[in-house]
Amino acid sequence: MNKLLTILLAISFLLQGITFANEIPLDETKKPAANTEEIQTNTQNTNISELPYDYSSTEAIPIKLSIINEVSTKDGLIEGQKLKFKVLEDVYYENMPVVKKDDIITGTVETIITSGMNGFPAEIIVDDFEIAGINSSQLISTYIKKGQNRCFWVYPLKWALTIIPFVGSLTNFIMGGHARIKTKDVITIYYFPKWK
Amino acid sequence: MKRLLTTLICIMILAPCAYSLDSENAEQLLKEQEIQTRIDKIGINLLNYNKIPRRIVFVYDKREKKKFLTTDKALTKRQIILYDGLYQSIQTDDELAAMLAREISTAIKSYSGIWGGMLDSLEVTLGSKKFETVADKRAVDYMVNAGYNPLALIVYINKTCPQKRFDKFSRHNLTSKRLARIYEYITYKYPDYLKNNDYINNEYYQNFLLNSIENRRMLQVKIENNSTEELDYE
Repeated sequence: MNKLLTILLAISFLLQGITFANEIPLDETKKPAANTEEIQTNTQNTNISELPYDYSSTEAIPIKLSIINEVSTKDGLIEGQKLKFKVLEDVYYENMPVVKKDDIITGTVETIITSGMNGFPAEIIVDDFEIAGINSSQLISTYIKKGQNRCFWVYPLKWALTIIPFVGSLTNFIMGGHARIKTKDVITIYYFPKWK
Repeated sequence: MKRLLTTLICIMILAPCAYSLDSENAEQLLKEQEIQTRIDKIGINLLNYNKIPRRIVFVYDKREKKKFLTTDKALTKRQIILYDGLYQSIQTDDELAAMLAREISTAIKSYSGIWGGMLDSLEVTLGSKKFETVADKRAVDYMVNAGYNPLALIVYINKTCPQKRFDKFSRHNLTSKRLARIYEYITYKYPDYLKNNDYINNEYYQNFLLNSIENRRMLQVKIENNSTEELDYE
């Protein structure tokens, strides 16, 4: 009986050995480096991004603009429309001019959010500014202009009026303000000269 | 001695079973890790190419989405959750980018405005119909900037969003309206994608063309008349 049990034990050992042999192999990247040379190659850091972008630099140059003709969501502004802006002051980078005062540059109306019920304001999102000699990937230029936000008083009014049946719902019809980019609005976009 | 041997044999027999269960779990884990990596990669691409200087994370969840009593994590935690049910409908990277780009545009909104973006988040929640359209349009922009084909957004929505009867009292637009607005937005802003249409041989896109004949006809008339009027799509 003992012999039989010993044989069974031996077979079990063998079976287990086979199972563990089928272990999942280590991922290539997790394998230890074969030699010191490989380690050195892996740790070499050239600090040059192979990606189409490199946001390492924090150096940003503000460019101040104002719109030439006032626009509003009330006046049939459409998405994709080009808007003209005027540069407000000279901008230099390393003593070289980037843009000069009164230069004209264009931006695009990316999205228009219409004003909504309960006093929610309209919004204009302008982006895609085009400046001669500057790659658009070097700019952070999203500009958002909102209309008057009336929710601050519409919601308290709504809740105050709910004690009278149905009257609170009437505030639904109060619309938010239209968004208007005025000529005196100063729009600041940022130029990152060291970005790709 | 016999008892000891019997115990040892039992252990030896049971150990491989436990190991095989472990390897099944490991396989499942690897699969989920692969999906998560794919989602992260495309999500981060969208953020980087669009120069979005805000933190947004992407999470794959193999559970089904609970319809009710859940807050939109994109607005509260800036966390975009992709549920397995939706993931199964996604075939290409473009479609995955479409799904993520929509959610990114919602999450971005939660960063703007006063009280750490709380008011703007409330605005998105309450005015969900309006912001649904905005999110669709911004998604198209994000996709184009990151090098994905925006027509994939049409394919993705056509595949995954059901069509209700009415939208007058609903918090959401009719899917057919959303699709028509996206198509119009691409027509005006990114016409090259329609001229050199990579999706012309895509069955799902052709299905959209089939179910949007009336809406596309309205758009055609608008273009011919150089009108700027907002169309009331069906």
